[in-house]
Amino acid sequence: MNFVWSWPVIAFYIIALLTLCCGVIMLSVRKVIYMALTIGGVFIGASALYFLLGADFVGVAQILIYAGAITILIMFAIMLTNHEATEPGFKWSPKNIAAAIGSVLLAVVLLLAIRSTAWPTATTSQTALDGGNSNPMAIGLVMFKGYAIPFELVSILLIVALVGAVILAKERKEDE
Amino acid sequence: MWNWATHPVSWLSFLGMLIGTVVILLLTLVVVMYSIYWQRKFIGWIQLRIGPNRVGPFGLLQTAADVFKLLIKEDIIPNKVDRVLFMIAPIIAFVPSFMALSVIPFSRTHVFTANIAVGALFYLALSAITIHGVMIGGWASNNKYALIGSMRSAAQMLSFEIPLGMSIVGVVLMAGSINLNDIIAGQQHSVWYIIPQVLGCIVFLIASTGELNRTPFDLPEAESELVAGYHTEYSGFRFAFFMLTEYVYLFAMAGLFATLFLGGWSGPWLPGWLWFAIKALIYITFQFWVQATMPRMRVDKVMPFAWKVLLPLALFNLVITAVLKAVL
Repeated sequence: MNFVWSWPVIAFYIIALLTLCCGVIMLSVRKVIYMALTIGGVFIGASALYFLLGADFVGVAQILIYAGAITILIMFAIMLTNHEATEPGFKWSPKNIAAAIGSVLLAVVLLLAIRSTAWPTATTSQTALDGGNSNPMAIGLVMFKGYAIPFELVSILLIVALVGAVILAKERKEDE
Repeated sequence: MWNWATHPVSWLSFLGMLIGTVVILLLTLVVVMYSIYWQRKFIGWIQLRIGPNRVGPFGLLQTAADVFKLLIKEDIIPNKVDRVLFMIAPIIAFVPSFMALSVIPFSRTHVFTANIAVGALFYLALSAITIHGVMIGGWASNNKYALIGSMRSAAQMLSFEIPLGMSIVGVVLMAGSINLNDIIAGQQHSVWYIIPQVLGCIVFLIASTGELNRTPFDLPEAESELVAGYHTEYSGFRFAFFMLTEYVYLFAMAGLFATLFLGGWSGPWLPGWLWFAIKALIYITFQFWVQATMPRMRVDKVMPFAWKVLLPLALFNLVITAVLKAVL
């Protein structure tokens, strides 16, 4: 494999290293608030990769929704609820062993699937993918021309979930 | 425009990136220092005082002396705080505020401007990351005032981000692009968007004041009830970093306002950077003027105001803009 150093390659390795570090720290720390912070780091690392690949809109959406809203929601939940600040230490139990085997198997399957797929290379031109439009415009055109009905269905699903959450929260209040 | 990805990997191009960053950082520090000086002087005039006038001619070195004092102060970390989080919280808060400057076009020749297709959204996304720094700082301080302040701050910044984003959508609709450079180009062909988007502009002004946690929405650090809000336990240069974040965001928001509604660097006769500086100064001065004039809002009225007044107004503006754009 011929390997050429360029700034994007260096940036990729730095981002990947930081993202993996955040992931490993998240699994190894015992304090819940550290986990919330490092999972935010993982989300930001993922969005940096999207930026590197030229998917600006996906990268921004990743930061806005995951690193912004969801991580902050997790932090609010941690800070406002009553629970142990630190989790108990790690012990090997049958459940943990099964989970470990399962995740190794999943990793192997994913690796095999990734290696056996023919990915588009640099020879596939950018204009073939986005039709020469800017990134958000290309996504908008695809979403509202090709996939208008699935998009609307997903938004109905979201509204139903929202209403459901409100109803669930309301019922609990009346019980008290 | 300088493209980092196409340059060969060498120390020279690395040095170029480093110098660019340092130059922008120094520029930002000078802007922040003199906006604080201007704030004190301007509010002084409004309140019939003189303002700082001792250090240097007209007190011009007053803020430099203040910054120097903060930097050489002892770095106090209280015993009962969560050490790691307490130390990194100011960094998490500051870094996105500085990154947000990268999408704002300062001048006609875009030396340091990232020409990304989602500029305005990028700004909003980054300011959401700063909320982490504020929350973590307040939580790690192990102090009830700091925690309440950080909770208020996070809730307020999240809430005001929505009307802010919605008021930007009107401009985006008119320009047909989220790229800030294209938005300026669109205003060069027609009028500044403050005229057709006057409602969106008002919503933007109010929502950005809330987003920046400035008076009348400065509840996160309401000194009469919360000591100093989320940075109660901070002192020395960590406190300076939180302050710096606040004023860098003021500058960035001024740049965003100038770009979205006042045509950015475009204007007759004067060079681009000077036009940008004038327009940014108008926004910054407006913020200080409001700060000197308005009392603080009550805490239970701020959030409903953002959700029930600003958001419907922004949506109304969006609908009108869309209809007019389709009809005309």
